[in-house]
Amino acid sequence: MEKLRQIKFESPTFTKRIKGMLGVDLYRLFHTPLFYIFIAIAAIIPAMLIAMTGMTGPNGEPSTPLFTNVWQAIAADIPIYGFEGIEKYANMNMVFIFGGIMVSIFIGHDYKSGYVKQLFTTHAKKEDYMISKSLTCAFTMACMCVSYLFGGVIAGLLTQISFAVNVGNLLCAILGKIIMSLGWASLYTFLNVIFRRYFGVSIASSFFFGTGILVIGVGSIIGNTPVLNVFLYGSSVFACLSSNLWTLINCLAVSLAWTGIYILLGSHILNKSDVY
Amino acid sequence: MNAIEIKHLSKSFRGMYAVNDLNMTVPVGSIYGFIGENGSGKSTTEKLICGHLVPDAGEIKLFGRDYKDAGVRVRVGALIENAGCFPGSSIYQNLMMQAINLGIENRDEEIKRVLKIVRMQDNANIKFKSCSLGMKQRIGIAMALLGEPALLILDEPINGLDTDGMKIMRDILVDITKSYGCTVLISSHILGELEKIATHYGIIRQGKMIMELSAKEMESRARVFTSLKTDDMKGALSKLKEKYDNVREEDGYLRVYDVDEVEEIVDYLYKKGYVVSEIRKNKIGLEEYYIELMSKKEK
Repeated sequence: MEKLRQIKFESPTFTKRIKGMLGVDLYRLFHTPLFYIFIAIAAIIPAMLIAMTGMTGPNGEPSTPLFTNVWQAIAADIPIYGFEGIEKYANMNMVFIFGGIMVSIFIGHDYKSGYVKQLFTTHAKKEDYMISKSLTCAFTMACMCVSYLFGGVIAGLLTQISFAVNVGNLLCAILGKIIMSLGWASLYTFLNVIFRRYFGVSIASSFFFGTGILVIGVGSIIGNTPVLNVFLYGSSVFACLSSNLWTLINCLAVSLAWTGIYILLGSHILNKSDVY
Repeated sequence: MNAIEIKHLSKSFRGMYAVNDLNMTVPVGSIYGFIGENGSGKSTTEKLICGHLVPDAGEIKLFGRDYKDAGVRVRVGALIENAGCFPGSSIYQNLMMQAINLGIENRDEEIKRVLKIVRMQDNANIKFKSCSLGMKQRIGIAMALLGEPALLILDEPINGLDTDGMKIMRDILVDITKSYGCTVLISSHILGELEKIATHYGIIRQGKMIMELSAKEMESRARVFTSLKTDDMKGALSKLKEKYDNVREEDGYLRVYDVDEVEEIVDYLYKKGYVVSEIRKNKIGLEEYYIELMSKKEK
């Protein structure tokens, strides 16, 4: 009983709390196959897209090339918000679709295994959960973007298509998309918190939003306007091969703003509803 | 100071109250046996304490602080329904994740310590999905014990354990309360096991706490009874009823309650012409006390 009287309850600082929860998520990420599978998927997608460029038709005639330049598989030449053919759509933005599925599986396992009970028993602050998941999943999607880049480059070398590009614009496009990973990760974390009891719905909703279909639909109606950059998909499209520093600032602002909104909304939902 | 203090706690699901105006007091350093039928609200109460569910009304305090206080919650260990481990990860990896989560510095040593407590130090690399039910329960306990929690909440931890497993679990719980004063809230259907370790009891029914008492109070309330057999049970029963207030036939025996002197009963029956062929003195245990209490409430 003497020891009992010595029990002290020191409130952990925000940094210590996040370090603990983020540590768990990263440990789990690196010790399960999920992360490596999605990294591999990200590398395969551009390779497949670029490989299609060199395909021939049924009679042996060369088909219309999907890309004339390797970097078109990374980002579109100019921002096109509506749908104008698969070649304008199929680029690094596809990482965000597969990333959504990855986030759904990652968070879904928290609930399926019951581990989330351990997290919420020891962490009273629900925003810790939202922040940690968003950062971990953003890191994964950023890694997928890099993997996508390598997959594209290797496929380009093998198919010997053009590598001509303005390096500055290309770097801004890639960095812009990597920055957007955070916003997308927080959106998916939020969706998975809403549909935490319905794994299938979580995946379906992540896929739905990841395709950017809402912005594409609006873009087709109101036209190709930069107003759509306020949305995650809009800014992801904005990070294209004509990007510059302004693009990066735009991506950073939009990504952070949406991250903040989704973390606040997700924390509110977790605080006001039964978590398990 | 109490480890848990609950006042007027309520929680409903679709209009049905699982916990209804519940009051509960768990003293620091106690092993609190939380007893109730299936669906009486035990697990819901435990989930509310752990912050998994949001209460409709009421107040929960842990060690005098609000239950949402981050400082106190980090000192709570829980095993509710299942261990909450990733099936594809090893026992060591699962424990490592929880150790990181709790911000424990000497993680390897701490994992070894808790594995030793639950007697699984040689099984650290087995995948969780390959473990037996008993092993999974013990891993759940090990998870909850990481970082020397001040409060341990265990929901049916001895379910599915064999006799040996139950003894191990019992020893673990007694050891942690004695060694560093951990408070344990434990719900179980196996009242005989609970009786061996609990220092306090709380009996819940239809979401309401119907009784809280210490093991000493329980002991004082425990009734003594003498069970006996004669060659003419019906005749002996009617004669015993003439002299004693509380006599009944149960399980093929005549039970005479609240009489200390066995010889007195034998003499009385002998004088009335009945020979006692078998006799023994008994005490009502927790299980019988609970059943009796429940049947009274039912009436």
